[in-house]
Amino acid sequence: MASLDELKRTFFDECGELLQDMETGLTDLQDGSGSEDTVHAVFRAVHSIKGGAGIFGFEGLVEFAHVFETVLDSVRHGTLHQTPEVFTVLLTSSDMLSDLVGMSRSGEAIPAGHASECKQALEQLLGKGPAGSSNGGEDAGDFAGLDFKPVPAGGGDDDFGFTPVRSDDADGPAGDGKKSYTITFRPRPEMLRNANEPLYILRELRGLGALDLVADLSGLPPLSDIQPDQPYVSWSGTLRTDAPRKAIDDVFEFVVGDCDLSVVEEEPPPAAEAAPPPEMHDDVAVAAPAAPVAEHKKPGRSQPAADAEGGKGGSANKKQATTTRVDLDKIDRVVNMVGELIIAQAMLGQVVQGLSEEVNGRLSQVLDQTIHHTRELKESVMSMRAQQVGSVFQRMPRLVRELCMKTGKKVRLEMTGESTEVDRTIVERLADPLTHIIRNSADHGIESPEDRLAVGKSEEGTIHLSAAQRGGRIVIEIKDDGAGINTERVLRKAKEKNLVDQDVSLTDDEICNLIFLPGFSTADTVSDISGRGVGMDVVRRNIQDLGGRVTLKSERGKGMTIQLALPLTLAVMDGMVIKVGENIYVMPMSSIVECLHPGSSEAYNLLNTRGMLKLRGELVQLVYLSDLFDVKSNARGILESVVIITEAGDGAKFGLVVDELCGHQQVVIKSIEDSYGRVPGIAAATIFGNGKVALILDVEKLSELSAESMMPGNSTQPVVVSATTH
Amino acid sequence: MPAAAALKVLIVDDQFSVRQMTRMTLEQLGIRNVYESENGKDALNKASVQPLDLIISDYNMPEMDGLALLRAVRGHPAVRKLPFILLTGRGDRELVVKAAQAGVNNYLVKPFTQVTLREKIEQVIGKLS
Repeated sequence: MASLDELKRTFFDECGELLQDMETGLTDLQDGSGSEDTVHAVFRAVHSIKGGAGIFGFEGLVEFAHVFETVLDSVRHGTLHQTPEVFTVLLTSSDMLSDLVGMSRSGEAIPAGHASECKQALEQLLGKGPAGSSNGGEDAGDFAGLDFKPVPAGGGDDDFGFTPVRSDDADGPAGDGKKSYTITFRPRPEMLRNANEPLYILRELRGLGALDLVADLSGLPPLSDIQPDQPYVSWSGTLRTDAPRKAIDDVFEFVVGDCDLSVVEEEPPPAAEAAPPPEMHDDVAVAAPAAPVAEHKKPGRSQPAADAEGGKGGSANKKQATTTRVDLDKIDRVVNMVGELIIAQAMLGQVVQGLSEEVNGRLSQVLDQTIHHTRELKESVMSMRAQQVGSVFQRMPRLVRELCMKTGKKVRLEMTGESTEVDRTIVERLADPLTHIIRNSADHGIESPEDRLAVGKSEEGTIHLSAAQRGGRIVIEIKDDGAGINTERVLRKAKEKNLVDQDVSLTDDEICNLIFLPGFSTADTVSDISGRGVGMDVVRRNIQDLGGRVTLKSERGKGMTIQLALPLTLAVMDGMVIKVGENIYVMPMSSIVECLHPGSSEAYNLLNTRGMLKLRGELVQLVYLSDLFDVKSNARGILESVVIITEAGDGAKFGLVVDELCGHQQVVIKSIEDSYGRVPGIAAATIFGNGKVALILDVEKLSELSAESMMPGNSTQPVVVSATTH
Repeated sequence: MPAAAALKVLIVDDQFSVRQMTRMTLEQLGIRNVYESENGKDALNKASVQPLDLIISDYNMPEMDGLALLRAVRGHPAVRKLPFILLTGRGDRELVVKAAQAGVNNYLVKPFTQVTLREKIEQVIGKLS
């Protein structure tokens, strides 16, 4: 049994989802993409928060939610029109509700009058004084003055607690206005499939009067042949009742098309004599002109059967996703086990390779199959951990609204790709960097309305937030149409703070990237908004911690684009195992464009470079892994090497020169940062089936490292990395 | 006098936490056979296959709300007599009137206490033992 605290926690988790529904709904309504259903959904969200808050005793929350709900109810019923002013109040109120939920969750006391201003604004919308006070005299849990009498259920000799209407016995006077009906009822398989239970129908029939039925068991097969979903029994007999014919038809209303049914009214017996109870036979002839009961389908009747089959009606399309809550730890345990499984499998692969040809052949077939399944298992588990980035994006509209209020700027936030899925951990750790970047954009990037008009832009600035999956990565882009980065100012600041040499000459791109340096902040006055001691360096650091990369493009006067490229998962990846000399490394498959053995006509030597490769008419810079990591290569020259063409973040290709490719493998990512700190060019490590450790290359960084080592004045200083895989 | 331990009750609410809370309160009353549905449609399906003694349903739910469920139950031959208690908010006076017309057995204003819940149930199915 869950404890009250656990239940409260669940309630707040639900509140989080409800608040998100509410925000999304309100935003949709505001930009006109909402429908009537959206209004209902928003109302329901607030209503549910109120309901739950009441049950769990959060009075402050209930009080505010109540007024909010009342206003939404007016919107729902069309008595309050959806004007921009109304939306302003609704959006502010939704922020307030989030705040109150947050406070209730953390156990903070809600300061007196905290929500009063917002509440007043809501009440004003209703055009009257305080909206029906939440406990207006109904604190007893009942509606005073309401004439409601609880309806006791009938006596209890039936499962449903209702008393069947007793017929006055069978031998009573016949002239009591009662009629006799001969009924035969044979369910068809469809009836059971539509979740209708014959027993219930018979019980219902019994409720109408004196029912005398005989079951026909002749259709019953031997026990071994019985199919549980087939009806084998039919019934026939009489019903004596004073209920109208319609009452009988009603009983069969839901099954009339799914059974063979006949209901025939018998001739009333002569009034003087008591009618003998009709004899029942299995083969009762129902010869009388049967008034067919069938085919009187009523439109719009509610029939659970249709849904039980699912997928038929239009309503099935709107079927809610059925979800179950699972502790994240449990999923992580599965993820870890899958990781271990992959390692064990690799070990198995090694063993198999060492076996004789004959055994090997059969075994490796099975192994291939296992590998296939493991891969699927990994993907399923990863998708369990996946979450839509929308959950982080949803926090941004509010942020922008608040920024607009504080700065007097006009900013519209557009979002696309919210449904892109990425590992949960990444989503969670994305919130801070994203918040910071958007704050920056709104605070520093977008100009004031006057300034914008002066340079011929529209008064309202736009920040476009998008997410998309590209290859094995997810790319999140934050693009604004503001002033872009003021390169002179950035360079001046950087020099003032001695972050660069005084006489350095840098390209605009390089200057823009200075803002990622630790200790850099151009804000002249630390503003309430961006200046929280968190600079872009922290953003970059956060993204890098996730195995991601930040790139920035700025165009003076036109705006700035920041791109975050992130891995889809943090646990397992598809890797290419490569070898340089005796050292083995792993390269993420997602960063490989192609691999090739260069011919002599394709390799070039140019000044200041170790070489270029001509690839289909395009020159590609070569990067020797042996040089970068200062390890010995076994290949004598480029012609004995393999070149792996990869793509750096800015789209530029370069060729990584290695000795050989050892194969494609799923590898489990193990961080080495805790033990070794950050090593440039190395993303992480992995363990192979033979127990050896290999380093996973950080391809982005490799291209940077090689560019640095090639810069004039920089002696080619190799990075001190040596993978010891012995 | 219905034995609490033998009663079969279906809770219908779209909020997991509210269902759990109601379940907890019912269990404190000794009612152990508690079933749950998160919307009206599912409730109707459950009710038509699972013998029940009582439905306690919220009003506000997606797909099929509590009132629609009540009407569907009352129109379903197999379960039309099933005792039905509707949960309402504090302001929903009109709803109670509509529910009464649709044949509700009782209503219960949220939030409720164990005492009120017991009282409302007993008004419908008699004293619990």
